[in-house]
Amino acid sequence: MVSSSLLAAQPGRRKTMTADRILPYVLIAPAVIVATIIAVIPLIYDVWLSLQDWYLLRQPTPVWGGLKNFRTLIYDVSLWSAFWRTWVWTLGTVAVEIVLALPIALLLNRDTLVARVASALILLPWVMPFIVLGYGWQFLLDSQVGTVHFMLRALGIAGDSSVLNDPTLAFTVIIFISGWKGTPFLVLALIAAMKAIPDELYEAAEVDGASAVTRFMHVTLPAIQNTMLIIALVLGILAFYSFDLAWIMTKGGPQSATTILGIKMYNAIFNDLRPAYAAAISVVMLVVLAIASALSLRLRRAEA
Amino acid sequence: MSRRANPRHEAFLDWVTAIAVFLLLSPIAWVFLASVRPDRDIMSASLVPTSVTFVHFLSLFQRTDFMIALANSLVVGIVVALLTVAIAVPASYSISRFRYVGRDVMAALILGTQMLPGVAVMVPIVVIVRSLGLTNTLTALIFIHLALGLPIAVWMLRGYIDSVPRELEEAAMIDGTGQIGAMLRITFPLIRPAVVAVGTFAFVLSWGEYLMALALISKTEVKTLPLALQTLFDPYSFSWGEVMAGGVVIALPTIVLFLMFRNQLVGGLTSGGVKG
Repeated sequence: MVSSSLLAAQPGRRKTMTADRILPYVLIAPAVIVATIIAVIPLIYDVWLSLQDWYLLRQPTPVWGGLKNFRTLIYDVSLWSAFWRTWVWTLGTVAVEIVLALPIALLLNRDTLVARVASALILLPWVMPFIVLGYGWQFLLDSQVGTVHFMLRALGIAGDSSVLNDPTLAFTVIIFISGWKGTPFLVLALIAAMKAIPDELYEAAEVDGASAVTRFMHVTLPAIQNTMLIIALVLGILAFYSFDLAWIMTKGGPQSATTILGIKMYNAIFNDLRPAYAAAISVVMLVVLAIASALSLRLRRAEA
Repeated sequence: MSRRANPRHEAFLDWVTAIAVFLLLSPIAWVFLASVRPDRDIMSASLVPTSVTFVHFLSLFQRTDFMIALANSLVVGIVVALLTVAIAVPASYSISRFRYVGRDVMAALILGTQMLPGVAVMVPIVVIVRSLGLTNTLTALIFIHLALGLPIAVWMLRGYIDSVPRELEEAAMIDGTGQIGAMLRITFPLIRPAVVAVGTFAFVLSWGEYLMALALISKTEVKTLPLALQTLFDPYSFSWGEVMAGGVVIALPTIVLFLMFRNQLVGGLTSGGVKG
């Protein structure tokens, strides 16, 4: 707290001192108010709501229910299957992202024209709205007109009906699409990490006669490991909170095969008309995520 | 990686790169392609386009529900962009230029909202908006969309303001301009490209936003484009070409503006924000 403004220390400006002291608060206030209204208040309200008894068909005005929702939640079999499904979805999405991003980042981290143009275009799936990608993929997987469907049928994976009609295949395919969308973000982060590796390390490895694979395993991988872990964690959080893709493509079906927690929550409020129960689900999601993030960060620190 | 490049080796890797990126982007290219192919072309499922047509776009632009949605999305996007800039510029200036009690906490609060997924706050927001009687209004949507671009805007602008030397402002202030005058006359013009970039970014994020629009809006008069596209798709008889044309209308601003501001965005994405 050296001074509250550039000129606060100057003599002869005492009158404006108070104004100068308030100015930074005035400037930041609108942003703080917006963040409070959109994030802080909803989160607090969410916790309060989860403790209410509020079921529009039976209990149309909310009354205090204590831990009622959480007790219901523990015995909700379909919620539990959505919970485990969300973990498969999350880990699957991140796995696809790492598997796709690592080789692409290696390819793009070269100083050629093709690599530069490719790096410029690679971000497109990441910035493209879900609605466009969802319907685009639905078109590609359509049993009558879909190019990807024909390929899958030729490979014997899909039958005459689209893979989106088969519970297991639909879930697998949408996980892949979810990973595909997130890949560019990981690619960019990995390239940035790779650029930070000093050339000397590679030169030393080459002098020692290390092959390309050995150099990757012993120079590149250790250097990008941390970035990969942090970005994977961020992408994992986003995947855990997915809704759009699975909803747009299959509405959680077929036979609730793609009903992840986000969809479960949406259904709880809009179809079952149980807003308090939906709030309880989102509180549980927040807690689970906080624990998972803390654990994986601790794990990382233990490793380092 | 191989810095002392072997040209033949590099040429081979260039081919692999080109094929990999082509495969990665082909689903998006397919949407664009389908939007200009005649229906019989699409139905015959041939890979080779026989002719280019704009009938899908024409029939799309003759649908009133789609045009209403287009107008709504434009209104929401533009207002969100302007408000984001109007809120983010002073906030980032405050964080960059002053030291005061609570600054770091408030900065963390603003930037922290970036990490908060929409699904996490959907339920309370729906209930709050309902109890305020603002369901099916663009006002509620605009306000909520502010959360999409604001954190990253503050984060990026702060970096740009940091790079404007204080001495420039001090010189102006000695000449008799106040602090705000110095900000408006000296710093703001220097960071104008970044301001345009973050405004654009806010617009694009709002333009494609689906979850909150879905949760808050059900009436045709206030639907935004992603919801209108859904309406196109839902009935049993629909034209793939028309749906894909609708997808292109939603995708196009994203692509154009993304290519224009790619460098600023990549910098901002990799340093601070993560919202997809």
